[in-house]
Parts: sequence; structure tokens; C-alpha cells
Amino acid sequence: MLRAPHTFSLLGSIAIVGLLAGCSSTTVTSDEPVEGGVLVYATGDAEPDCLDPHVGGNYPQALLATQYLESLVSKNAEGDILPWLAESWTESPDGLSWEFTLREGIEFTDGTPLNAAAVAANIAHLKDPETGSSTGYLALGKVESTTVVDDLTLRLDLTAPDSALLDSFSMPWLGIQSPTALERGEEVNCASPVGTGPFIVESWTRQDSITLVRNEDYSSAPEDAAHDGLPYLDGIEWRFIPDATTRYAALQSGEVDVIDNPQPNSLAAALDGGEITALLAPRPGASNRIELNSSKPPFDDPRVREAFVRAAGVDEGIESLFFGTVDRSYSVLSSVEKEALSAPEYFEGDLDAANALLDEAGWTERDDEGYRVRDGERLTLSFPVSTNQSVPAEQSLFEQLQATTKDVGFEVILEPLDLSSWYGALFAHEYNLVSAPYTKVGPDVLRILYHSDSTVPAPSGYFANLAQLKDSELDALLTQASETSDPALRGELYEQAQEIVLSGYYAIPLYDQQNNYLLGPDVRGVRALPTVSTPTFHDAWLAR
Amino acid sequence: MPVSGARRVLRWLAVRLAGAVFVLWSIATLIFFALRLVPGDPALAILGGPGSQASEEALALVRQEYGLDRPVSEQYLLAMGRLLVGDLGTSYSLRQDVLGLIAEQFWGTLLLTVLALATAWLLALGLATWATRGSRAGRAVASALEIVAAAVPHFWLASVLILLFSTTLGMLPPVSVPGPLGLVLPVVTLALPLAGFLAQVMRESLADALESPFALSARARGESETGVRLRHAVRHAALPAISLSGWAFGSLISGAVVVETVFARPGLGRSLLKAVTDRDIPLVTGIALVSALAFVLVTIATDALDRVADPRLRGS
Repeated sequence: MLRAPHTFSLLGSIAIVGLLAGCSSTTVTSDEPVEGGVLVYATGDAEPDCLDPHVGGNYPQALLATQYLESLVSKNAEGDILPWLAESWTESPDGLSWEFTLREGIEFTDGTPLNAAAVAANIAHLKDPETGSSTGYLALGKVESTTVVDDLTLRLDLTAPDSALLDSFSMPWLGIQSPTALERGEEVNCASPVGTGPFIVESWTRQDSITLVRNEDYSSAPEDAAHDGLPYLDGIEWRFIPDATTRYAALQSGEVDVIDNPQPNSLAAALDGGEITALLAPRPGASNRIELNSSKPPFDDPRVREAFVRAAGVDEGIESLFFGTVDRSYSVLSSVEKEALSAPEYFEGDLDAANALLDEAGWTERDDEGYRVRDGERLTLSFPVSTNQSVPAEQSLFEQLQATTKDVGFEVILEPLDLSSWYGALFAHEYNLVSAPYTKVGPDVLRILYHSDSTVPAPSGYFANLAQLKDSELDALLTQASETSDPALRGELYEQAQEIVLSGYYAIPLYDQQNNYLLGPDVRGVRALPTVSTPTFHDAWLAR
Repeated sequence: MPVSGARRVLRWLAVRLAGAVFVLWSIATLIFFALRLVPGDPALAILGGPGSQASEEALALVRQEYGLDRPVSEQYLLAMGRLLVGDLGTSYSLRQDVLGLIAEQFWGTLLLTVLALATAWLLALGLATWATRGSRAGRAVASALEIVAAAVPHFWLASVLILLFSTTLGMLPPVSVPGPLGLVLPVVTLALPLAGFLAQVMRESLADALESPFALSARARGESETGVRLRHAVRHAALPAISLSGWAFGSLISGAVVVETVFARPGLGRSLLKAVTDRDIPLVTGIALVSALAFVLVTIATDALDRVADPRLRGS
């Protein structure tokens, strides 16, 4: 999934966020859940254009869809697949055919029964070009056809084995919707999608809020939920507050109960204790990385790539700019992925080694400003930065990187751009460095990010392999891993694949892409679903 | 009013309205061509932005549906023709009628800007009166305040006000809530810089008016100092400020982009910001035109007010 613009911070770095604790309220100390009340959630992620996550498929849609849609399967905190709307499933020995059996007696909130035909309609909807699905469409790339075996059993036939199929079905972008509701057409379904989830979309006031009310017939909680029955809350008011400082002020004053995307300093304050508590949830898939474009000079030379990586000391910057709220990562995969290979040895800072490597690569001279020069050409790197996707602290980190790599003679040119212009620069290959987060459940994200097929642009110009890595050995490993159902072999293949990426100095891992939530003093029982770390409020209650 | 007077007013109005139509047409034309210079494929914007996996067929379909495959001159004529009948088209990102979307957001922004303008006027009158009446020290303080107020940027002021009145004092909500309480901080944020600016203008003409012969003769007739100010001087002092209010309204609309975003208020300014980042050409065009229309109408209204406040203008 492409990370959608979030945290538009106007005040950002200028504002001094209040250190004073907000309101004082008398809290109920009992641990017995209280029924009722409306929880106010304030998001800094963009307001979706469409509440049906099949259309497009970005993170803001996933945050919302988690409240009213459910998936065929889920994941627990250990990363094991759990049954959800599907009770059980079997894979044929050749991996080309899957049968899913659905839970009995579940209805969508419009009264339509959940059955095999309904799931088939959802898959058809995702695969229909008219829907304009991006995330779901890609995830179902190997699904060729569906057959309704009986009322509750659906068979999927694939073009090739797909070890990522269950991971894909666990994502909110493949949430199952009422087929009756889907038939109402895009405009209506975008405003009021219908699922089986704990809450129902009641109304949407653009630029302001979405009102969600309790599903009074809710009966399909996943196995790892704290309780089985109806949600405790009467509903959720989902507000859009784009500015991070305002959002935090609203939480402090008790105007809202839960916020996402807090600034690192607010998060650090909450982690230090006090009435406001923090919930940290690393996203699955890839970590946040800086990719080195290996398709053009100077990074087509592995020595220059290594020199850059050795010179780019980011540890201190991460520590100071994020107030200790994130850990440095040495893996291109998120720490929640079991297959993640962490290799700190490739990222040890060594300025002497960097200088020697650059000398060896022919960048021997320095100009008046101290930058290295070869054949009259300066060692310049262009680094387009998406101001929509990189939070202010991350942008500052890139500025520090610019300063540290200058010591060995790199000139890094940071170009802050809005999302469309940023994509424009990438499509035109006008970059040497880029940071582009990608969220997908499971290690198969490596295939999307580093398989040579992903250097071929879609008709829109989009391609995910921004390091421009074209390595036939790596391609073979990634393809084989995606077709292997043996977990041990799969793990081994992914390890070898990551070794190629890391030892080739194609990327600098920074930290996990992390979802951070701050909870007000009365909020209890909120957890993030282990699939893509979206918050679920089925178990939540308000102690007031 | 005599017949010739009414006719003169009507002619004045007709000229102004014709001018307004010309201004709107120019703006529509300018926006139409300017937005075609912005990088980014409109067909992609329609299909969910540059990160979408839209197929070649889907792109072709959209280009045909929105007429993007036709020559630019034809697209321009079509767009202008639609504008003539009041059709602003369909938003690329929200797939809804632009006119309906604007109608939804318009009143919030209008309320915000009108209240801010009124507040700015009151504050400016207060400041200007204080500056011309008070002691030397008082005058210095007042004019310093004017300069500071006129210079502070909205986003900074907003964060300071939130920090002071919401986080520290807990008096006012930092985000928009139903009812008048949620309006206080956004209105004050918008009004303060403008008040500083208007006060500077008013102070000068107020001081001039108080020293002019008509003030002297009023005083000589035994009019109290307050009477001189209220009945004679303020009217004079208000003239340049009234003329500036048209301009001020325009600056308030652009200030609304920042204020609505920071205080999470729904409105045209916030829609415009989102439309620009989404490359939503019909929505950007629509909002720009509606803002231009509002600006033009307010300018005509302030000119009319000028004529009421200043009889010298009526003859011209």
C-alpha cells in the first residue's frame, strides 16, 4: 500500500507544545467495562475520498474500514493467521486451488447473509478495473477464478501458488462488503459501505467527521478479541484534525479521546507517564528506508553506494529527533515480520572506509566547497522528499544526513515536494535517494519492492522498486519464496533475498513504520489489530 | 432622491457589474490555462492519484469521459460554456457536483470571514481611538501593538492562542465545536492581524480629522469631545478603512485556508488546500471563482458604502 498523505502540520516545528497536563477528571478506577458513550477519535491521516477501501486502497481508508468491515482471516500478536469470517481453509497440494469455508449465521448490517456468493462478489469487485482498486487488485493478482461450491464454501483457482494469499486476505483493503450494498454503485457505496464489523457508518460530514454507531447484531469478533459480544461503545465520532499540535491540544483539553500521528515530543511525554497514555503499533511489511537508485550514476557503482551508507550516520539523529520513541532498524522488513533479517554490520559508520571507497571509485578531487569531483562533475545526489509522507522529524533527519555525508564529499540536494510533484520526480527517474514507505502484510512485500518486475512502470508511471534493483538471482529467490508453502524453506529464501539487498547497499533502513496512538485518561481496552496496526474499538470502553 | 440621481446610481451599478463579469471571465481563463501548466495527468488525478495502478484502458476511458482527449481550445470553449449556465463540473477526487460541494462549505467560511471582519473593525476603532486620545506613552504602546498585530502570521498566532486559551487556561476548545464557543479562537486569529493593519490606517485619518476646521467649528459650537469623535471624526476616519475592507475580505479568504486547517473547521479554505494537493482541477477552479465572485461583490458593496459615507463621491 502506498502511504497516503498524513499529518499536514502547519505549526509543526514552530509550536512549543504545552508541557502541562491537560484537564483533570475524576476517573473510574474499576476494571469492569462500562457500557455506552461515544468515543471521539481524531485522525491526522487524510480524509478519504471514498470509505470503501476497495476503491484505491490507502491507509486512511484502512483506519476507518477496520471499524465497519471485517476480513476473511486475521492475525494474532505472534503473527499467526487466525480464522475470522472464514472458519477454515484448505490449499490443494499443487497450491493452485484454495477452498474457504465461511462462518455460519453472519449477516451484513443491511441484512444480506454472508455466504460464498457474497465473497465471490467482493473478489469480482476488487478485480473489476472500473472499481479502480490498487492495493486489493495487486494482492489478488494470482487469483484467476472463483467457484461457489456450496452456500458457505468458495473455491479460488490461482495462476500460480501464492504463499501470501492469507496475508493478503487479512488486510482491511480486502474487507468483505455486502454484495447488495456494492450494487448501489460507487457514489453511494463510497459514502456508506456496509460490512459485518462492530460499527456502522451512519453519516459523513465532509472535512469534519464521520459518525459511526454500534452494530446491534454484532457477532463476529476475531478469536484474539478480549470479549465476544456487542461493542461497549454506543458509537465513535471520527474527526479529521489535520494539524498535529491542534490534535494534541484537543486531546489534552478532553475535546477528543484518542488521537493518531502525534509529534514525537508529545509521544515521549505520554511514554514518560501521566494521564495520557500511548499505544505503539509497528506496521507490518517494510521498514522505513532510504533507497539508493542503482540504475544511474553515481550509485550504479557499488563502491559509491557503500561509501554513502558508511558515511550516513543516522543513529544519533534518530535518537534525538524522535525523543527515543523509535528504534533504529537494520532490516528492510518491519520488526513484526518473522522473516526480517537484521544486519547491523553493513551499517557501521566508517568515514575512513567511505573516503577510501570514493577514492577507489575515481572521485578523488575536491572542489572549493569540499565536494568530491570526477572529470569536472560534482558528486551530487538528488533527494526528493515528500512533505506529505515524511513527518517533520524525518525531514530533519534527512537534513542531518545531508550534513554528515558532506564530510566525505557528497552533495545531497534535498527537494521538499508535494505528493504529485514527488511522484512526478520518481516517475521521471530524477532521484538518487528516496524514502517511500510501503505497507503490506507479510514478507512478500520484498517481491514488490525489489523484484526486477517492479521496475517496469504501471500505465500511471508508478513503480515500487525504487532502488532499481535488477538481479536475476534475487528475482528467482523472491518468486520461489512466494510460491512455497513450507514456512522453513520460505524463511530461508527470504533471508537470502534480504542478504542480497543489504550487502549490495541498495537501502538504508531507518526505523519501523510505526502507528502511534495517544489515549485520553478515560479510554480503556483499545488495541491495534496485528494485521496492519489499525485501531479496533470493539473492546474499547470509556471509564466515565 | 431626484430621478437623475437614481439614474446615475443605476449607471454606476451597471458599469461595476459589467466590470465584475469581465474580471470573473479573466479569472476563469487564467485558472484554466494555469492549471494545465501544473505537472500531473488529470486522468490520473481522477483515478486516485499518481500512485494508482490504473490500467491503460481505464485511463483512456476517463480521458474520453471528461473530454481530456479533445484539443485544448475545444476544452476551453466547453468549460466556458458550462460556466455560463452555472455548471462548475464534477470534482475529480470526490466525484461529486462541485457547486454542491461549495454550497456545503460556503456558509462556514462566510460566517468566519464576516465575523473576523467585524471583529477587526471593532478592534481597529478601539485601537485608533486609544492611539489618538491617550497619553504619549499610551499612543506609543497602541501603535506598537498595531505594528505587531499586523505583522504576525496566522499559523503562529493560532498556535499561541491554542497554547494559551486551550492548553493552559482550558477556557476555549482548540478545535471547532458546535456553537459560538468554537468560533472564538478562529475568528480572533483571523481578525487580529487585520485589526492592526486597519488601525494604522484609521489612526492617521482620525488624527487628521480631529485637527481639521470642521472639528474645530464643532468644538466651537460647544460639542463635547466624544461628540466630535462620534459624529464627525470617525466618519472621516472610516473612509479609507471602508475602501480597504474589500481588499481585507480577500485577505481573510486566503487566511481561512490556514485557520480552517489549524482549527479543523470545515470550509472553503480547507477544501481548496485539499483540492490543490489532489490536483482536483474542477474543484480548484470552482472555489477560486466563488471566492473571486465574493471578492468582487464585497468590493462593489464597499464602494457603495463609500458613496454613502462620503457625499463628495456621489457626483462623480
